[in-house]
Amino acid sequence: MFKRGAALALAASVTLSACVQTRQFADVQFTPPQGNYKLLVLRPDVSVGSLTTGGMVEPRADWTEQARKNIIAAIRAQQATRGGNVTIIERRNELPGVTADELAEVERLNYAVGQAIVEHKYLGEYLPTKSRRGLDWTLGQDAVRLGQKTGYDYALFLHAEDQVASGGRIALGVLGLAGCFVGFCAPNVGGQEQLDYASLVDLKTGEVVWFNVVQAGSQVPGIKFGELRTPQGAAQMVDRLLGRMKPGYAVRRAQGAR
Amino acid sequence: MKRLFSAALLLSAVSLSACSTVGGDSGYGFSSYSAVNVRRVSVGDDTLTVVAPRPWNRYRTNRFWDVRAVEDWTLNGPVLDGIMFVSGLKNNQAVVYQRRSDDQQVPVFRSDMTPPEITAMIESLFRVRAGALEFRTLGIKPRPFLGTNGFQFDYEHLDGDELWRKGRAVGAVVNGRLYLILYDAARSHYYEAALPDFEAIVASAALRGS
Amino acid sequence: MCMRCAEISRRSLLIGGGIAAATLHTGVAQARVRPSEMVPLVGPNYKPTERDEIGLWQEMERVEEEISGSNLLIKDPAITGYLQNLIGDVGGPAAKDFRIYLARVPEFNAMMFPTGFAIVFSGLLLRMRNEAQLAGVIAHEAGHFLRRHIIRSYRDQKRKTDIFAVGSMLAGIGGGAAGAYLGDYVQLAQLGTLLSLFRYSRGMEAEADAMGAKLLENAGYPPVEMANIWQQLIGEQQASARYRGKYRDRGFDLFASHPAPETRMADLRADAAEVTMPGKRYDDRRARYLSTIGPIRQTLLDDQVKLNDPGASQYLIQTLAQDGWNGLLRFYEGEVWRLRNRVHQGDDVRAAQSYAAAVVYPDAPADAWRWHGIFLMKKGRTAEAKAAFTKYLTMSPNAPDAAWVRQMVG
Repeated sequence: MFKRGAALALAASVTLSACVQTRQFADVQFTPPQGNYKLLVLRPDVSVGSLTTGGMVEPRADWTEQARKNIIAAIRAQQATRGGNVTIIERRNELPGVTADELAEVERLNYAVGQAIVEHKYLGEYLPTKSRRGLDWTLGQDAVRLGQKTGYDYALFLHAEDQVASGGRIALGVLGLAGCFVGFCAPNVGGQEQLDYASLVDLKTGEVVWFNVVQAGSQVPGIKFGELRTPQGAAQMVDRLLGRMKPGYAVRRAQGAR
Repeated sequence: MKRLFSAALLLSAVSLSACSTVGGDSGYGFSSYSAVNVRRVSVGDDTLTVVAPRPWNRYRTNRFWDVRAVEDWTLNGPVLDGIMFVSGLKNNQAVVYQRRSDDQQVPVFRSDMTPPEITAMIESLFRVRAGALEFRTLGIKPRPFLGTNGFQFDYEHLDGDELWRKGRAVGAVVNGRLYLILYDAARSHYYEAALPDFEAIVASAALRGS
Repeated sequence: MCMRCAEISRRSLLIGGGIAAATLHTGVAQARVRPSEMVPLVGPNYKPTERDEIGLWQEMERVEEEISGSNLLIKDPAITGYLQNLIGDVGGPAAKDFRIYLARVPEFNAMMFPTGFAIVFSGLLLRMRNEAQLAGVIAHEAGHFLRRHIIRSYRDQKRKTDIFAVGSMLAGIGGGAAGAYLGDYVQLAQLGTLLSLFRYSRGMEAEADAMGAKLLENAGYPPVEMANIWQQLIGEQQASARYRGKYRDRGFDLFASHPAPETRMADLRADAAEVTMPGKRYDDRRARYLSTIGPIRQTLLDDQVKLNDPGASQYLIQTLAQDGWNGLLRFYEGEVWRLRNRVHQGDDVRAAQSYAAAVVYPDAPADAWRWHGIFLMKKGRTAEAKAAFTKYLTMSPNAPDAAWVRQMVG
């Protein structure tokens, strides 16, 4: 219970694999939102940088800004096809009736839950009690309260990084782990990479109903995957991540039976 | 605690495989967890037995790094919740593997330790090995355990990932050895969610042969 | 920039098996930088104009947003305001542009980010003996900003090969797997990009030291206090090793084979001599420091002592006790021995003695009475133990362990 290794391993795995993959999990009872639903997208975490010949990543302000705009536009366009009302907030204090601290608590729990999902659903550390049970994690009452206070039906957490560590993670690292004294003043390993994940939380129940990871990577600098700074690249990413949202196992089986 | 090490192993294992890393939930293949079913099972050094009210997941131990008296279980993943069993820890042993020369160490157990000393040992465990930056003792009180005078320790801690976690430990020293069941989970939702499991497990605990 | 990164990256490299050992030698022969040569390269309201630096700034602005919202910060306005004022005094031309955050991490460290915000770890406040020392660390960090080290270091590293990058990464992982210290694994991958910026050449550290000495002198602090900080740090690390029996057992000391801290200390003394003006009165403003830190000192001590690094903790306590022993310090001395817990070396006896000594002082914390009682009870001095427990309950009737202690009193 003292270990959180998932994100590190996930990130490391990306650097050596040369392909694009997605794999989604859903609650067995999950039905993709349709019709007149209200979706809250919380602080999309987007970073884009360019890779130098030495393997270092150079954060590019213009690219990140471009990618952020593209991704937000792509999410709006994509969700509009389903009939949803989408609100995208960029800062913790932008939600009326919810304090920055309350939102921060939800985000922190979501981060830990996301790690657990990645480690136990994607990285091979399967939990026997959760085998063949779809996605079975929750954010509990904190998320339900968020829904009650804001009137949203779903919250979408989105993380997209193209080669650079995102601001939030850096902050956590510096403060929490205090990287330097631990002996990890180490630079990143080179290689073109893109890592995106998204989770959808039902704010009526608090359950994480759907989770998806996209990773695209190559060992060879110069090979480009879904460049987020182009509208097409961002749309492709959003489509890979959110576009093919599938219902849960129980729902699919019921549909099949009909 | 043992899974601190597994993270490094996991890392090296995963980074060597291309493409297969976004795996499936087949339920097969390598996992460090095995199922704990709803029946009496022995934990740690096998002198302690318990019954869980529903299936849990047991973390497989490693004979090189792990202290034999210690065993970890989880329901939703160790980031979110877990139970640590200490069964029959001997005098002068620590609950984790560590080198004598490590600067920061978890204090070793002594047979004559009082509950405040054992709880201080647990506090250092969280501070030294789990990156707890703030640790609050909520309560230490007497509580019968394994048919003897034991204690209950309630606490909460803020870790490097900005998440508050909360825990409860119930323990006793029997024949000079430490028996302890410790539950630790994210304070938001997860602690309350599996606390009844923990209480049922504690209530079911028995020493082999007694 | 990270106050202690030079030492630390060396430690991780040693643990990691010297994969990147060759890099250790870069800059070792760095000559001292003279404070008189150090002029700030940025003025007030500096904003970047070049592409790479603009990108870095934007990234760091988001980092700062996250950090300022973190629940790991100590937000006591008396202390954060004090730190903000200090950087306003020693920040040179950019003094008004800096922001400073205090994180609750029990380690000696401070770091400056490229956009001019700094993080100070709470462990630093436990280790500084006066305001001049704290201002010295802050001046050093300000020096990194004023000399534009982050972007210079970043551009410098871009020219290096990625073999170095991989080597360091492996070294770091090796250190972790070896159990050197394991905090939160998860952030490591994401940290990479940022932390690569924190590794400076010795030359840059020397520049920041020289610049810092000058800033400290200008603000009226005795510049020699910067050298004293390193002397204290060396003392602490030697004590830490000694208490774990490393010095004798292995015959090798990290800092004996790497003279950098000593060299740095010597250079800082030379810097101080150079900038000190004969006849000018300097003030280390010790009283103000102590009264400001006073309210959180017990928390700082507690966070340190419970890491059970007995040598370092004992060194710090004895350093603080140079101003006179009191109940708080005697109590924590007892805690150090109790947690080290080597009975064959008499640690339990020492702990009992320290608790007994602590409760004689009127400022002994309630916890001292409880532990005094526990150690009396273990020796069979039941009546005295009960008296101590009763005193504890009187002082702290709502203590979290009151139920257990009441049972002891019977």
